[in-house]
Amino acid sequence: MTTATVPPVPLPAFDHGRAGLRNQVRSEWTKLRSVRSTWISLAIIVVAGIGLSVLVSSVEGGRWGQLGFADRAQFDPVRFSQTGEFLSQFVVGVLGALVITSEYGTGSIRTTLATTSRRTTVLAAKLLVIGAVVFVVSEVTAFASFFVGQEVLLAHGGRALPAGSTILDQVHSSTVPVVSITDPGALRAVFLCGVYLLLLTLLACALGFVLRHTAGAISAFVGILLVLPLIVQILPSSLTHSFEKYLPSNLGLAMIVVTSRKTDFAGVLLSPWAAVGLLTLYAAAVIALAAWLLVRRDA
Amino acid sequence: MITASRVTKTYGPTRAVDDLSFEVRPGVVTGFLGPNGSGKSTTMRMVMGLDRPDSGAVTIDGRHFGELRWPLREVGALLEAKALHPGRTAYDHLLSMAQTNAVPRARVDEVLELVGLESVARRRVGKYSLGMSQRLGIASALLGDPGVLLFDEPVNGLDPEGILWVRTLLQGLAGEGRTVFVSSHLMSEMALTATDLVVIGRGQLIAQTSVHDFIASNTEATVLVRSPGADVLADVLRAAGAGVDARDDGALLVTGLDGTRVGDLALYAGVALHELRPERASLEEVFMELTSDMVDFHGHAPAEVVS
Repeated sequence: MTTATVPPVPLPAFDHGRAGLRNQVRSEWTKLRSVRSTWISLAIIVVAGIGLSVLVSSVEGGRWGQLGFADRAQFDPVRFSQTGEFLSQFVVGVLGALVITSEYGTGSIRTTLATTSRRTTVLAAKLLVIGAVVFVVSEVTAFASFFVGQEVLLAHGGRALPAGSTILDQVHSSTVPVVSITDPGALRAVFLCGVYLLLLTLLACALGFVLRHTAGAISAFVGILLVLPLIVQILPSSLTHSFEKYLPSNLGLAMIVVTSRKTDFAGVLLSPWAAVGLLTLYAAAVIALAAWLLVRRDA
Repeated sequence: MITASRVTKTYGPTRAVDDLSFEVRPGVVTGFLGPNGSGKSTTMRMVMGLDRPDSGAVTIDGRHFGELRWPLREVGALLEAKALHPGRTAYDHLLSMAQTNAVPRARVDEVLELVGLESVARRRVGKYSLGMSQRLGIASALLGDPGVLLFDEPVNGLDPEGILWVRTLLQGLAGEGRTVFVSSHLMSEMALTATDLVVIGRGQLIAQTSVHDFIASNTEATVLVRSPGADVLADVLRAAGAGVDARDDGALLVTGLDGTRVGDLALYAGVALHELRPERASLEEVFMELTSDMVDFHGHAPAEVVS
């Protein structure tokens, strides 16, 4: 047992400045890295991303000889390499929500809020840290998946189409088409895969701040990505067509597919950068709501 | 200095804190007493800026929590010991808190050692006992070396050695000139630890006073006397103006006279005394009496009071 005296004050002077975003970011990074679920989630993103790229590219590459013209026209080596993104969008949703809902679940949110007199700093720091971590991991995974996927197609006898090739050239190609990162739309599609996951993470985290409950936030997030499209499908087809391009899941699709290759998406999806803008707007709206509630509600 | 002025807080239909005003001065331990559900935790959350009062204000050295620029260095609190992420180590928990207010890493080790957790600091707190969590909570309150400290039921789950340690620690902190505000529903513990008292029931102030005055002004001093000539003595005492109550076991409970006077009167009456014992109600009894009509949840059997 130790004595009951408090050691002399070793703290530097704090008569200037205030506990700010920089301090809170450090703290949030410590919190994020010090729980196992973070590393498990990030490992799933990397493993699922590269693993599914290998699997799907291999299956599709092996089928080229048996594909009809219609299927060959839809053959998108970029999309195949990013198959893991479908799974990762839910992983980042859970990760983004848990960053805050685990604090509400355990009650440690009160410790967090009792160390800062500006609550919005906590929101900003959490978004910055989880956003940066997910973005870096997602981009690395997206590019690794892309290059690994193309290698797999090459192993199936694939060959890059000559520059300026059209979709007709692809349909008539005897070998599996392989895409270079410098091909039109490829770099953008791969890069936006990470951006899509970043925006979903921020959306999920903001939902967590609003709902303050892990199950609630994750349900809402999954509902937006999976259930909302089903509801829109039930609407009269004229309404379906006017709404579906604005669904977050379809904004993600718009960011990731190379529409010059995917003829069946022509006109259905927004342009990739418009999709980025709109999804950013969605996330910003929920973040604003989260900030408004955070400042007003009792912890 | 913590100041609450006319604070009211309602949750739905429940008035948790009702027009509550009090002051907690630096330099002494102030006990915050009340039955379970009387509004102690709510009041402490309002001090920490976690809950917003419906009306009135709570201030720390004259400022609202929201005006503090380095909150952790000005006010430290142990509110709920178990409110921790179970998968995080004690060290990382404290480090993450320290970083919010630019408190150096070395201070984390320092407070871990102070509360005696240095050997288990790298263990996940989900495996901690309640007593260990309390110690971690105390460490986090002390982390920023603040001048104002709040502890909500800090001895819960501690063994007798731990309770003694907390008592000494709190008095040491107050002795350094800090403001120390400790809630408890255990009156006996506060009688030993605190100098001042803020007593509430159903969210309302019952008393703000010193422990000494609280007992003195709320209890009538009585003297218990045993004597083979109890009947004679009782008459003599009554004649001297005392209230005398004969108990079933033959002892007399005397009010209105002190022990010295009772002894003198016995000598004067020529009656032998077998026992002469001044009795004073414990803080526990005073408190039970004062709050008996303010307890929300009564047990069916009378609670065993440990004093």
